[in-house]
Amino acid sequence: MSISNELPVPPLKDPVIEVLMKDVDRTLLRENLKLSPDERARRLVKLLEAAEEFSRAGRNLENTS
Amino acid sequence: MIDYGGLLVALNRGRVEFIIVGGFAGTLHGSAIPTQDLDVVYARTPENLDKLVAALGPHSPYLRGAPPGLPFQFDAETLRNGLNFTLSTALGPIDLLGEIAGGGRYEDLAPHGRTVRVFGVDCLCLGLEKLIEVKRAAGRPKDLVAIADLTALLEERRKPRPPSA
Repeated sequence: MSISNELPVPPLKDPVIEVLMKDVDRTLLRENLKLSPDERARRLVKLLEAAEEFSRAGRNLENTS
Repeated sequence: MIDYGGLLVALNRGRVEFIIVGGFAGTLHGSAIPTQDLDVVYARTPENLDKLVAALGPHSPYLRGAPPGLPFQFDAETLRNGLNFTLSTALGPIDLLGEIAGGGRYEDLAPHGRTVRVFGVDCLCLGLEKLIEVKRAAGRPKDLVAIADLTALLEERRKPRPPSA
């Protein structure tokens, strides 16, 4: 039997999801929707590069203090 | 750090049949939740297994999180004998999925995919509605925030947009 048939999909209106959706920053989503998929992917790469740079700077700070 | 472009170009140049799922598919649709690996569902035909090995083999695939030195061979036989593989490569982490909960195999998912051009290559990406369905079916607590984000994204996408100037 396929995995896809083993698990029932929960009802469409999930109260947990409804609550979590209130915390979604839709302004970010609207900005992303103005971009092409390629631009969205490249933006993610830049974000990950920046996160790595911050992480590296933090480690350097710990080593020098 | 993951080289998304490198991985996708390698798979594309190797003519591997695959569809992007998971967090990176969400990114391509416009999700604001960052992700750090690439999840793909691959076709399990003998030809495609050979293509997959040829495409990723040169990038040192190894079982992610496993201790070094295990006798892991990334070859068609290993892929045939397994199903889902979480791998590290020289280009970054990639999950090769033969089947996913709520979505099935490549053949089941491909009709729900759309071709997107990313990093200079055309790739099949799971459609947003199906992506939400798959994450809901997986039922993992860690996906709840992503489901909320993707559902909000779907709502935003369905809203009529003002005409561009």
